Amino acid sequence: MSGFWWLLRAEWTKLRSVRRWTLGLLAAVPLTLALSLLTGGGSGTDLNDHPEELGPIGPAGVPVTDNRNFVHQPMAGDGRITARVLTLTGEEGFSHEWAKTGIMLRESTEPGSRYAAMMVTPGHGVRLQADYTTDLAGSDSTGPRWLRLTRTGDTVTGYESADGVSWNRVGAVDLGDLPPTVEVGLFAASPGRLAVETSVGSSSTGSIPVRIIGTLDNVRVDSTQPQPTAQWQEDDTSKGFVQGPVGENGAANFTEADGVFTVAGSGDIGPYVPDDDVTQLSLIGVNLGLVAMVAIGVLFITSEYRRGMIRTTFAASPRRGRVLVAKATVLGVATFVVGLVASLLAFFVTQPILRSNGFGPPAYPVPSLADGPVLRAVVGAALFLTLVAVLSLGVGAILRRSGGAITAVVAAFIPLLILVGGLPLTAAQWVMRTTPAAGLSVLQTIDVDHDATAEPWSMAPPLAGLGVLAAYTAAALAVAVWLVRRRDA
Amino acid sequence: MQATIEVRSLHKRYGSTVAVDDLSFTVSPGQVTGFVGPNGAGKSTTMRMILGLDAPDRGTALVGGRPYRALRHPLHQVGALLDAAAVHPGRRARDHLLWLAHSHGMPARRVDEVIEQVGLAPAARRRAGGFSLGMRQRLGIAGALLGDPPVLMFDEPVNGLDPEGIRWIRGLLRALAAEGRAVLVSSHLMSELEDTADHLVVIGRGRVVADTSVPELLAAASEDRVVLRTSKRSEAITVLANAGGTVAATGPNTLTVSGLPAERIVALLSEHRLPFSEVSPHRASLEEAYMELTRDAIEFGAGS
Repeated sequence: MSGFWWLLRAEWTKLRSVRRWTLGLLAAVPLTLALSLLTGGGSGTDLNDHPEELGPIGPAGVPVTDNRNFVHQPMAGDGRITARVLTLTGEEGFSHEWAKTGIMLRESTEPGSRYAAMMVTPGHGVRLQADYTTDLAGSDSTGPRWLRLTRTGDTVTGYESADGVSWNRVGAVDLGDLPPTVEVGLFAASPGRLAVETSVGSSSTGSIPVRIIGTLDNVRVDSTQPQPTAQWQEDDTSKGFVQGPVGENGAANFTEADGVFTVAGSGDIGPYVPDDDVTQLSLIGVNLGLVAMVAIGVLFITSEYRRGMIRTTFAASPRRGRVLVAKATVLGVATFVVGLVASLLAFFVTQPILRSNGFGPPAYPVPSLADGPVLRAVVGAALFLTLVAVLSLGVGAILRRSGGAITAVVAAFIPLLILVGGLPLTAAQWVMRTTPAAGLSVLQTIDVDHDATAEPWSMAPPLAGLGVLAAYTAAALAVAVWLVRRRDA
Repeated sequence: MQATIEVRSLHKRYGSTVAVDDLSFTVSPGQVTGFVGPNGAGKSTTMRMILGLDAPDRGTALVGGRPYRALRHPLHQVGALLDAAAVHPGRRARDHLLWLAHSHGMPARRVDEVIEQVGLAPAARRRAGGFSLGMRQRLGIAGALLGDPPVLMFDEPVNGLDPEGIRWIRGLLRALAAEGRAVLVSSHLMSELEDTADHLVVIGRGRVVADTSVPELLAAASEDRVVLRTSKRSEAITVLANAGGTVAATGPNTLTVSGLPAERIVALLSEHRLPFSEVSPHRASLEEAYMELTRDAIEFGAGS
């Protein structure tokens, strides 16, 4: 083991003793910062000036999405609502996996008010959801299914049943200070359908509103207190949807006939997801910072080949695989430290600029390093730069020529990133999921549908994307080790 | 560990070119072994194979009885200068030696010692890019000495050195051998090794053409030849050739005769009343001997 420690010291001495390399390595910091500032300075939004676009403010004080059709009546005091979901049908044959219909108990009909709901979804079975961020899984049933919500004080408990006789508890939520009288009823909501528009050389994605039509029966409201009225009222906040008739004679999204309720709605109930990922935007500079990492990674090995110094190295350490591993380790640690400085600096310097350009609360919550996804993105940006440097070392050892190796690695990133916006969506997804550029996915902090975005850096899940780059790096190193062992030095 | 290098039946091809062809020789402790041959004869290739850098197609090269790649701390067993230019120009001389030292857990103090030993102390903190070839040679030699190894190999160490440097390196090589180390020094010029090497391995076209001590090589090259000075050159040629000698005119008044002993030549010249002012045994220079040997090797190679 001491032998490997000596090798690490030797390689570290090599790395730190060439002034041009030190400067090149440190150049990753201003390069990253420069592109982040350029991007941040050139980006802007006026979303905060248009609160109607933003959605209501939820119980946690942040914007939420509250688009649904809610057919309700008041319920005084403790009590429960029961209903059986019969069918769940999307229009035009499309059912979103997260379309939902079921029963709901709300503080009020005010958008953004507190709620608990039991629902059936086509893709995720029975769920108990509350207050826009709570989501508890029930059975896998997609209907017919009996659902029940019971209010006891501020606590609402969700149940499901196959027959309306034996009930399973799904979970309970505390809705804080509920008023004495709440609104209970039936609801329906569905996220839109992904639409990809491909014109010559470019594509854009959007969402077409879709209605989900739920049918329910056996609707019962039981209360410990006398009920004010038993009249059903419709509160439809469906988004972007042209209202049309459901059933035979209705002009609205709600009909009732012989105890069967038909409720149609579009939109979603849940957290508000900003269209722009502010953290990702502030870290975008790694696209330029990687150039410095490529140069250092490649030169760390090719400069030895160029001058024949590799023979001195391999004569001093005949176990060549270990030499490469030592080089990769030293380079990895050095580039991670520099990468982290670059990433933190880009994050903290660019954030205020983005905020002053409109990317501020409430539409865009201020990202904090204490948030898991934000920390993952900032550390991930440094890891991305590290992996790029080590990948470059591997490619440098394979090709043994600085120019060829630098070109090869840079070409795997920069031109692709420029071209990828002009590719058809499937081609762009292929590039961003299977080439080393997939590593840029780690900059995401917002959970988006990776199939439904035209944003190249969001086309793969963050850690999976970084994993793709890591796999390329490991493969390049493995090939390099194999080659340096069998080649004449 | 024995201070030896043993090369046995080494073969190495690069494509269709045979660089080293059935090469065998031994470098013994306590003497300087000259490794001589024209450029392209295979000296550097052989040295790279000894160091485990290039893999031979056949044959073995052992250092102290073991293949180089099996050595655990090779710098303490073999010190080598292969190419003085193999230094990053942006790195200070001392840092270049420091990474080598670190690779074997040697302290920085050892680096300062070898820098002192090769006379680079004033330039230790300068970047190697500004070094003359002679300074780089000294830096490379310092690297070879770093691990205090019993076996040393230097590939063309005299290249680029000024006369003072040449004198210094000859002294160094002699001193290293006197300490009992095995020293292998290559050169394409025999004259560089004339006063330094105890033993010579001469190669041409990848083959050993002589593996001998310096006096033996000189004796072999001088054998049977007599230098004659006479004012009647053409008559002398006729007389001596008729008597069975091989005569070459080497100057306006001088002849070199082989195949006839000196006494017989004197007798023949006296008999024919031909004047002569000098008859002496020829003393070949090492350079001549070398030229002779390598020319044969090249002719042999071309004819086969």
